[in-house]
Amino acid sequence: MCFLCFFVATCSAVSRRTLILWLLLLAISFGCNSGAKPALDGPTRVTRVVSLAPNLTEIVFAVGAGDKLVGRTSYCDYPPEAKAVAEIGDTLHPSIERIIALKPQVVLISTSSQLEVFTQQLQNQNIAVVVTDPHDLEGVFRSITQVGEMLGQKDQADLLVTRLRERANTVEQAVKGKTPVRVFYQVSGEPLYTAGHDAFVTDLMRRAGITSVTADVPGAWPKYSNESALAAKPDAIILPTGGSMGSANSDVTEALRQSPAVLQGRVYKINDDYLTRPGPRAIDGLEAMARALHPDAFK
Amino acid sequence: MNRVTLRKTLISCALLGGALLLAIVSMSLLGSERLPARDSLCALASLGTSACGLTPDQFDILFQIRLPRILLAAAVGGSLATAGAGYQALLRNPLAEPYLLGISNGAAVGTMIALVFFGAIEWVRPLLAFSGALAATFAVYRLARGRAGATPERLILAGVIVTTFLSSVIVFVTTLMDATRIRSFTFWLLGDLSGTSKALLPVAITVTILGALVLTLHARSLNLLMLGERDAFDLGVEVGRVRVVVFLVASLLVGSSVAASGSVGYVGLVVPHLARLSLGSDNRISIPAAALGGALFVIVADTVARTIIAPRELPVGAITALIGAPLFIYLLKRV
Repeated sequence: MCFLCFFVATCSAVSRRTLILWLLLLAISFGCNSGAKPALDGPTRVTRVVSLAPNLTEIVFAVGAGDKLVGRTSYCDYPPEAKAVAEIGDTLHPSIERIIALKPQVVLISTSSQLEVFTQQLQNQNIAVVVTDPHDLEGVFRSITQVGEMLGQKDQADLLVTRLRERANTVEQAVKGKTPVRVFYQVSGEPLYTAGHDAFVTDLMRRAGITSVTADVPGAWPKYSNESALAAKPDAIILPTGGSMGSANSDVTEALRQSPAVLQGRVYKINDDYLTRPGPRAIDGLEAMARALHPDAFK
Repeated sequence: MNRVTLRKTLISCALLGGALLLAIVSMSLLGSERLPARDSLCALASLGTSACGLTPDQFDILFQIRLPRILLAAAVGGSLATAGAGYQALLRNPLAEPYLLGISNGAAVGTMIALVFFGAIEWVRPLLAFSGALAATFAVYRLARGRAGATPERLILAGVIVTTFLSSVIVFVTTLMDATRIRSFTFWLLGDLSGTSKALLPVAITVTILGALVLTLHARSLNLLMLGERDAFDLGVEVGRVRVVVFLVASLLVGSSVAASGSVGYVGLVVPHLARLSLGSDNRISIPAAALGGALFVIVADTVARTIIAPRELPVGAITALIGAPLFIYLLKRV
C-alpha cells in the first residue's frame, strides 16, 4: 500500500515536471479556461495589456489592439510590429517587476499551471489575469472573441473570426470526401514526441482531412514509443519546423526512416509557428497541411 | 585468488549471467507493440539471421529498436553499478555513488557542452562526458581530503557541493539554449534510453565490459584498501596507482553511460549494496556481481518505463529511483 502511494507520488512528480516543461517551453500556449478568475468588473476599458504567449500577442494585433500591448515575451516575434513592444522575459521566466512597472490592467496568459504564485502576485497588484487555453479551432475563435471584447475591438474580432471560419470551411469542404491520410506528427525526433488527443493541432489535422495516428494518445504532447511509431506505418509525416524552431526537427526520427511516408517521399515540413500557436495563423497551418496532403483538392 | 573464492565468483557470475540473458530475451518480448512470442524467440535464437515468420516491421521493431535499447540498458546499468562498487571500495564509503558524488552531473555537463558545440559529432559526447566525470571525481576527492584525511561525512558533503555547483552550471547552460533544445535535455537529464544511438551502443558495451574486468582485477587491492590506505600500503598495495586506475575507470564508466542515457540514479548505490548483502563484501565477487546485477536492474526498470503507459513512455531514471529509493531505505535499516 505504502509502496503504491510512493509510486503514485513519484509518478505525479515526474509527469508534473514534464507537463510544466511542455506547457511552458514547447507549446507556450495551451491549458484550460479554468484557472485565474479575471478580476475585471464592470465596464472598465482596458488600455494596457501584457501578453505572456506568442499566440496571444498575435491575437491582440489581429483584432487591431496592438497599440494597447505594452509588454510581450521574447518568443513573441509576430507580427513584426510586436518587436517594438517592451520585452518582459520569456514565457517560462517572466519578470514580475518589469510587468508591474509597465502598469498593465490585464496580463494575458495561456497556462495557469505553474503560474499560480505569479498570478497571485499580479492580482495583489490589482492586475487582472486572463487565461485562454484553446484545445481546438473553436477554442481559438473563442479566445479571439474574448480578447477582442476585452480590448474594445468586438467588431473587428467578430469580423476576423468570420473570415477565419470561412477559410476553415473552405478547406474542410475541399477535403470532404477525400480519403483521410494517415499521418504521424513529429514534434521532436530525439526523444520522440508527438501530438496527442488534447493537442490543438490534432483538431487542425482532422479538419485538414488527416488522420493523426496518435490522435487517441492521452495528453497533449506525449513522449511516444519508437516501436509504436514504426508499427503505425504512417503514409505521411508532418514536421513542424522552420519557424521559431529554426532548422531543429527537420529530420525524420530514425524509427520512421523506412516508413511508407519516407519511402513515398511524403514528408512535409510546415512552419511550426502556424501549428503550435493557437492564434489567427492557425488557419495558415490548416491550409498548409490540407494543401500538402490533398494537393488534388486545391487545383 | 584462492579456489573457494574463485568458485564462488564463477558460480555467482554464472547465475547472474544466466539471469541477465534470460532478462534480455524475455524483456525483448515486451513492448508497446505486441510481437508473436514464438517467432520472436526463434528470430532471437538465430541472432537476427532469420526472420522466422516475423513481418519486416516486426523484425525491425525487435532488432532495430527494442534489442539495441535493452543492450544499452544493460551497458548503462552495468557501468553505473560497477562504478558505484569501485567508488565505495576505494573511498571506504557505502554512500559513494556516481549520482550522489556529483560525478554523473560532471558527465552531464560534459555531454551538454558536446551537444551545444559539437552537436553533430557523436563520439565527442562520451569523450567530454568522461572528462567531466573525471574532473568532478577529482574535485570531490580533493575537497574531501582535509587535514584529518577523507572522512565519509566530508566526502558526502564534498559530493553535495560539487553536485549543486554542477546543477547550477546545467541550469545556466539550459537557459542559454533555445527552447526547442531544452525539452530533449530535460528528459535526458532524468535518464532516458529511448534515444539509443547506434554509434554509441558498441562504445558503451565495450567500456562496460572492459571497466568491469579492470576493476575486478584490482579487487584484491580494493579489499586491502578497505582496511585503510596506510594498512593497504603496508601490505604492499600501490595505493596511488590503484586510486588513479579506479578513478579513471569509474569516470570512464559513468561518462559513457551518461553520454548515452543521461543520469540514471540509484543504480550505483543499490546494486552494489545488494551484491554485498547477498554475496559478502569481498570485491572479487561483489564487483562482477554488481556489474551483472546492474545490467539486470536497468533492463527491468527500462522495460517498466517503456511499457507501463504505452505507447507513451516514462524516463527510466524515474523508475530506478522509484525502485531504488525504498530499497535503499530498507537496506539502511538492515545494516
